[in-house]
Amino acid sequence: MKYVEEFRDPALGRALSAQILSLVEPGRHYKLMEVCGGHTHTIYKYGIDDLLPENVELVHGPGCPVCVIPMGRVDDGIAIAGREGVTFACFGDMMRVPGSRGTLLEAKAAGADVRVVYSPLDALRLAKANPERDVVFFAIGFETTAPSTALTLKRARAEGVENFLCMCSHVTIVPPLRALLDSPGFELDGFVGPGHVATIVGLRPFEFVPAEYGRPFVASGFEPLDVLQSIEMILRQLAAGRAAVENQYTRVVPYEGNPAALRAIEEVFEPRPEFEWRGMGTIPESALRIAEEYAEFDAERRYPPPGERVADPRECQCGEVLKGAIKPWECRVFGTSCTPEHAIGACMVSPEGACAAYYNFGRLARRREPV
Amino acid sequence: MIDGSHDCEDGTCITCGDVAVPLRVVSLDGERGLALCEDGAGRREAVEIALVAPVAPGEQLLVHAGTAIAKMDPKPRPGAPA
Repeated sequence: MKYVEEFRDPALGRALSAQILSLVEPGRHYKLMEVCGGHTHTIYKYGIDDLLPENVELVHGPGCPVCVIPMGRVDDGIAIAGREGVTFACFGDMMRVPGSRGTLLEAKAAGADVRVVYSPLDALRLAKANPERDVVFFAIGFETTAPSTALTLKRARAEGVENFLCMCSHVTIVPPLRALLDSPGFELDGFVGPGHVATIVGLRPFEFVPAEYGRPFVASGFEPLDVLQSIEMILRQLAAGRAAVENQYTRVVPYEGNPAALRAIEEVFEPRPEFEWRGMGTIPESALRIAEEYAEFDAERRYPPPGERVADPRECQCGEVLKGAIKPWECRVFGTSCTPEHAIGACMVSPEGACAAYYNFGRLARRREPV
Repeated sequence: MIDGSHDCEDGTCITCGDVAVPLRVVSLDGERGLALCEDGAGRREAVEIALVAPVAPGEQLLVHAGTAIAKMDPKPRPGAPA
């Protein structure tokens, strides 16, 4: 298919791999973070790490929207799903994320009306088809997904749908990146940047990475050649002693992003003063809530949830994985008591989660052979 | 909704999380502001086009969670920044 096959060409991949090899200094260790779970998935599905020299290490960032939702927030969703007259709609990945007393899937098995949807628009259709019930959409995702929720709320208002509500758990990418860069002992040489978030917000919000922290940032596509080329671009900057924001994903990322999407976000949402991230603690202004102007669609106002903070399971090391401090197979429960079928941590639940990517693609506990 | 028209592909749900897919516009539903789009395997879905309007049949859109978030550059060049 156009835009897909040409970005999976093995010959071009080998050429990029050779260029990468020519750019690394022997004896120097390079640590690069791919921010997005989608990149993690591409890297292990296509074995991109096997095409890199031994001294180029990839660490996996906090950009999996399912993985960063804390347990207390899952509990809130389950509480709302259990309310009389509520149909709760969420993306499939969210169904198996454990809260402190089970998952949404288990709540469904116990009788709650929980449905899987593929888009906010699907949830709106569900509301229109079931006017006697309140349909609550569990909105998760970064700036990529927030416009979709915003447009759906605008559409619900335009169409006079009063039984469509949203439990907004959208998050924003810059605050956690800053929190990571500010965390003591955090060492990194550059970012493979989130291409789809950049499609919406543009590149300007990431200029602080080179300007304040002196690290290269390359907005990257999601096909294997995209990721390889982004790594090559970062290494090229490092070899030249430069740090800049660059755009590998020019086929969809404009420097200014998508102004219509940013306007929709601005109109429908407002920043939350703070939001808890799984394993990373509370980060100021790192999430969105529904603005006063759209209050009638806010599920948390109509069905106030408990909102209790729940500590992550003691044995789970998702937090360290999300910060790139350990590899998934270094977690004490990886692949033993924590598997995709019975996940303890959210990084094992979502296919985009680093642990699930390692587990599904056989990176169970091995170090790479040098290329 | 699970209606058989969407499947999880390669372990990743096509609209879940932060994944976006290129789809081709087949026809427009101007009244509702939606476009019927098709992927490489011929699966079709109605897509919100408010963020990229106007669009024309045959154009390629990048679609995330049922919403087109960008038009694709018509001449991608693998190997060069793309």
